[in-house]
Amino acid sequence: MNNITVIQDILSNFFFFAGMFFVFLGMLGLYRLPDVYNRLHATTKIGTLGAFGVMMGIVIKLGFGPMGIKAITVGLFLLLTAPVAAHMISRAAHRHGVGLCEESTVDDYGKTYCLINSSCPVKHEETIEDEHDQM
Amino acid sequence: MNTLNLLDIALVFMVLSIIPCIHRIIKGPTIPDRVIAVDALATVIVVMLGVYSFVQESVFFMDVALVLSIIAFVGTVTISKYLDEGVVF
Repeated sequence: MNNITVIQDILSNFFFFAGMFFVFLGMLGLYRLPDVYNRLHATTKIGTLGAFGVMMGIVIKLGFGPMGIKAITVGLFLLLTAPVAAHMISRAAHRHGVGLCEESTVDDYGKTYCLINSSCPVKHEETIEDEHDQM
Repeated sequence: MNTLNLLDIALVFMVLSIIPCIHRIIKGPTIPDRVIAVDALATVIVVMLGVYSFVQESVFFMDVALVLSIIAFVGTVTISKYLDEGVVF
């Protein structure tokens, strides 16, 4: 076992541990956080950092064989499409009328969207804005 | 043998991390909660398929992972578009 094999093992194990750590953080956030947007903020990290970390661990361990090329394809696809899906589902949730939790202080997108469209179902801008101005 | 033990630990950990997704799918108060949980579940299954493909030394599970990630993305975009505008296409 020469030096390059040892370095490959250490790097791939590091990426595996990083991916598993971010999957654990995302699942903890999905279980514990109080709001749709907070949960989305936690679970997007699974797609970008967790899955990409595990796939990069596989690529470093195997080199650019058939499985390594497919692993880096899956990792890049998840890295590109997870933020797009997260943005679309959060925008749809806000327009669908899902409110924020009580600890939120400011909602800029709801303010601008309710100025444009008067039939907006979100009805919590005034109180939140007043509390934000008083602070 | 050391790396094989690490990969087995990773597989068991991925199976355990399905439990909060199932909890959020069953209990989630609104529809976007459930969509987010399904998306996270699909991503965890993709990671599990990648690790299992490396354990079994077979390329075919990686194809399954790629197709499942594409289907999860298309499903999330479709459901969000349906929630936003009321139509799919």
